[in-house]
Amino acid sequence: MKRRTWLFSAAGATGALIVGWGLLPPRSRTGSGRLWPPIEGESALNGWIKVLTDGSVVLAMPRSEMGQGVFTALPMLVAEELDVPVSRIRIEQAGSDAIYGNVAMLLAGLPFHPLEAEQRPFKVEAGEWVVGKLARELGINATGGSSSVADAWTVLRTAAATARASLLGAASLQWRLPVAEFTVREGVISHPSGKSAHYGELARFAAATPPGKVTLKERKDWKVIGHSAPRRDIPAKVDGTALFGLDVRLPGMLYAAIRLCPMLGGAPGAMDIPAALAMPGVERCVRLPAYAGSTAGFAVVGKSWWQAQQAAQAMSVDWQQRPAGALDSRQIDLELEAALQTDVGFVFHEQGDTDQAETAAARRIEAVYRAPYLAHATLEPMNCTAQVRDGKVFLWVPTQVPQMGAAIAARVAGVAVEDVSVTVTLLGGGFGRRLEVDYIAQAVRVAMDCGGRPVQLIWSREEDSTHDFYRPMQVARLRASVDADGHINSLRIRSAGDAITPRWLERGLPQLVGPVDTPDKTTAEGLFDLPYGFPSQHMSHVATRKGVPVGFWRSVGHSHNAFFSESFIDELAHDTGRDPLSLRRDLLKDAPRHLAVLNLAADKAGWGRALPVGRARGIALHESFGSIVAQVAEVSLAGGQPRVHRVVCAIDCGTVVNPGIIAQQMESSVVFALTAALYGRVDIHAGVVQQKNFPDSLMVRLAQAPVVHTYLVESTRPPGGVGEPGVPPLAPAVANALFVLTGKRLRALPLTL
Amino acid sequence: MDLQINGKLVQVDADPAMPLLWVLRDLLNMTGTKFGCGVAACGACTVRVDGQAVRACVTPASTLAGKRIQTIEALGTPGKPHALQQAWIAEQVPQCGYCQSGMLMAAAALLDKTPKPTDADIDAAMTNICRCGTYQRIRVAIKRAAGIPPGSAVKKRA
Repeated sequence: MKRRTWLFSAAGATGALIVGWGLLPPRSRTGSGRLWPPIEGESALNGWIKVLTDGSVVLAMPRSEMGQGVFTALPMLVAEELDVPVSRIRIEQAGSDAIYGNVAMLLAGLPFHPLEAEQRPFKVEAGEWVVGKLARELGINATGGSSSVADAWTVLRTAAATARASLLGAASLQWRLPVAEFTVREGVISHPSGKSAHYGELARFAAATPPGKVTLKERKDWKVIGHSAPRRDIPAKVDGTALFGLDVRLPGMLYAAIRLCPMLGGAPGAMDIPAALAMPGVERCVRLPAYAGSTAGFAVVGKSWWQAQQAAQAMSVDWQQRPAGALDSRQIDLELEAALQTDVGFVFHEQGDTDQAETAAARRIEAVYRAPYLAHATLEPMNCTAQVRDGKVFLWVPTQVPQMGAAIAARVAGVAVEDVSVTVTLLGGGFGRRLEVDYIAQAVRVAMDCGGRPVQLIWSREEDSTHDFYRPMQVARLRASVDADGHINSLRIRSAGDAITPRWLERGLPQLVGPVDTPDKTTAEGLFDLPYGFPSQHMSHVATRKGVPVGFWRSVGHSHNAFFSESFIDELAHDTGRDPLSLRRDLLKDAPRHLAVLNLAADKAGWGRALPVGRARGIALHESFGSIVAQVAEVSLAGGQPRVHRVVCAIDCGTVVNPGIIAQQMESSVVFALTAALYGRVDIHAGVVQQKNFPDSLMVRLAQAPVVHTYLVESTRPPGGVGEPGVPPLAPAVANALFVLTGKRLRALPLTL
Repeated sequence: MDLQINGKLVQVDADPAMPLLWVLRDLLNMTGTKFGCGVAACGACTVRVDGQAVRACVTPASTLAGKRIQTIEALGTPGKPHALQQAWIAEQVPQCGYCQSGMLMAAAALLDKTPKPTDADIDAAMTNICRCGTYQRIRVAIKRAAGIPPGSAVKKRA
C-alpha cells in the first residue's frame, strides 16, 4: 500500500465524523470544577486545579510517575502561571474525564516526516486536526511516548492562568478595585491600598467568577520554567516510605504467585492442584486464560507471596505447546530477512528517483542490520492488587494506562467500567511494559475467587522475563548509491518486523481495531524520517505477524532503527573517505536544528582531538519524540570487551522546563541503552524464552557505567520529549567507536566483537 | 523465631526456610525492602546484618537469630536522616526509586567499613542493579556523604 492511498482511506474513514462533528470547535481541555468530587474546604476552579482554604493548591495528575519526573515537571507549569511556589502544590490522581487524555501521544503517531511537517503542508494540518480532535474525544489517559510535558504544556498553563484570572476577578469584585492594580506573589493578591488576601480566602468566590480574558505569561517573565526545581518524589524514595505497587497493604490481603506456560502462547493441561493446596499457607489455585495478549497459566493464592510462590513452583503441570506450533527466534530472523527480498512493504517516505539513482551509480554500498527481541526488565516486577466485592472492582496498580486497566478489569469481572476504581501507585520502572494490562486482568480474575478479600498478584522475575511483550526483532537492508565523484545520491532502506500498535490496540482498546492493520509508524520511525539531505530516498517497512508478544520498549522503533541508520551513515563516511562528523554536517545543510545539536556534542566532546592510546570516539545523531539528541561515546577495549568511559550528550528538546530532570533522563537513557547495546537479547527456542533471570542477562552496573555529560541547546519551541530520545543514538555511537578501534563493523545487536 | 530488627526484638511465626525479605514484607508489612529477582542478583532487597550488606531474598530469617538486622526504615530518622540519605537528596539520585533502598543499604555498609572509599571500593561494593541508570549520581552521592570533595578522587585508602 502506498502512503497516499493510506492517507486517502484514513480521510475516508473519518469522513463521516468530520461532517457535523467536525464543525464544532475542538473540545476544551480546561474542564469544569464539577469534575472533582466536592470536598468541604476545597474549591475546584476547573478540571485541573483546586484551591484549599489555607491557600494551597491541588493539581489533578493524569500521568504516572515512573522515574521520569512528571510529578515535578507538571506542577512546575502550574506554579508558573498560578504564581504559587511548587511546594504549595499537592498532587491528586485525576479522574477519567476526556480532558485528562493524552492528545500529544496520539498526534505523535502520525507518520509525517518531521522536516516536511515543519512546512505545515495541508496534509499535516488536516491529519493533526482530525487526530487531535479525535484524541480529545477519546481521552485516552496514558503515560508514554515521552509526551507528558508536551501534552500538558498549553493545557496546564492555560488551566492555571484561568484559575488565577478567576481569583483576581474574585478579589476585584469583593474589593471593588480593578484587576490591573493588583500584584500577585506566592499565592497572595495585594493592592497598593493595603488590601491583601491569599488564594484560599478567595477560592470559594473565585469558583463562581468567570475568568474573563486569559493570557499566558511571556517567556521573559518566567520564574519557575527553565530552572532545576528539586524532584518532589525523592525524599520518600530515600527512606523506604515511597509506595510502589508491591507495597500496597490492605486488611485481610492475600498474595498470589503465577506460572504461565513456559512456551509462549501455550496453556496448562492437567495440573496436580490438590498437592499444591496441601502446601502450607496456600488458600486456592486459579486457572488463568491468556489475557490481553499474554499466555495462559495459573495462580496460587497464599497467606504470603513466598508460600504461594513455593506452591506454584512445586505444581506439576502438563504444559501444552501453542496450537500454531513452537516459536523460534532463529527461524523468525531468517523469515524476516526473506521478507525483505519478497515484499516491498509499506512505503513511509519517498523522494527523488531512487531507482534511477541506483542505476546511474558508479557503485553501491549495501548492508543488512538486525536487532533481537528485547525485554523491558523493570526492576519492580509486574504486579497488581485487586479486590472484587459487591459488584465493584478496586485496583491498586503501577500502570501507564489506568483507563485501559479499568476497561479490562470490567470485562473480566463482568461489571460496568464505572464500577471499577483504579489507584495508580508509583511505578518501579515502566519503559513501556506497563502500557500492557495482562497482569491487571489476571489479578481481577484471581480476586473474583477470593470471597471479597483483596489479593496482591506478583510475578516472579522469571515470569517477568519470560512473559514480557518484547521489543520486536527487526531486520533492515540499507543501500546507498555513490557517483564517480564520491557523492551519495540515494538511500534506500527496507526493514521487516512485527508491528506493535495494531497488536496493542487489540489487547487493550479493541473498540479502535479496524478490519485490517493500518501502517504502524513505530516500525519505521527513525528510518523514514531521517534529517539527511540525500537527493533520492525510499524507505519502506514490511509489517509481519510472527506470534511473539511484542510491545513498546523505551523509544520503540527508534531504539533499533537509529542503530541501523546511524551505523550505516558511519559506514558511508568511512567507505567514501570522509570523517563521520563532516559527512553528517554536509548532509544536514537543510536541517539547522540537527546541525546545531551535532556540532554542540562534537565540540564538547573534543571531536578530532587526540585521545589516550586505545580509546576511540563514535558519534551518532537522532531525532525522536520531538527532540534531537547527539551523542559522542568514548570507548576502549578491556579484555577484548567494549568499555564505554564517557558519553557527551547534546539535546534540543525545545523549551526546557527542568534542566535537572533532562540531565537525569539523558544519564538514564545512556545506561539503559548501553545495557541493550552490549548485552540485550531474548532468544526463543521451542517457544521458551531462554533468558530467565538477571544472571542470564547481563546488565550495566555501577562499575561499568560511563560518565554522562549533558548539554542543552536553547530553544523557544514548545517542549519535546526527554524520557526516550536519549536512548536511540547510544548503540550506534558505541558501534561507530568500536569500528575505529577494531576495524570491525558490527551490524547486529547486541554488539559482539 | 525471634529477630532483632531495627533495634527492636520481633517475634515471628514463619517457616524456617522463609527468606528474610518475605518475613519483612508479608509478615511484618515493612515494605521499604524490595523484591527484584529472588536470586541475590539485583540487590533491591539489600539489608544490613551486623553491619554487613546482605541480600534478604536468599537469606532464611531463621539463620539470623541473635544478629542485628537493619532495614531502610531505620537507616535514618525523619529528624536525623543518614548522611547518605541527605547526599541522595542533594545529588537528586533516585528516578523510579525502586532500587534505592537496596543501594542505600549497600552504600551504608561500604561507608561503615571504608569511610573514605576509592572509586574501586565503590565499584566493588555497589553491585546492585538500577534500571534507571542512576549509577553516576550514586557514586557522587557516596563521595559527598563520605566528605570527599567533588572532583577529587581518593587515590589510596585513608
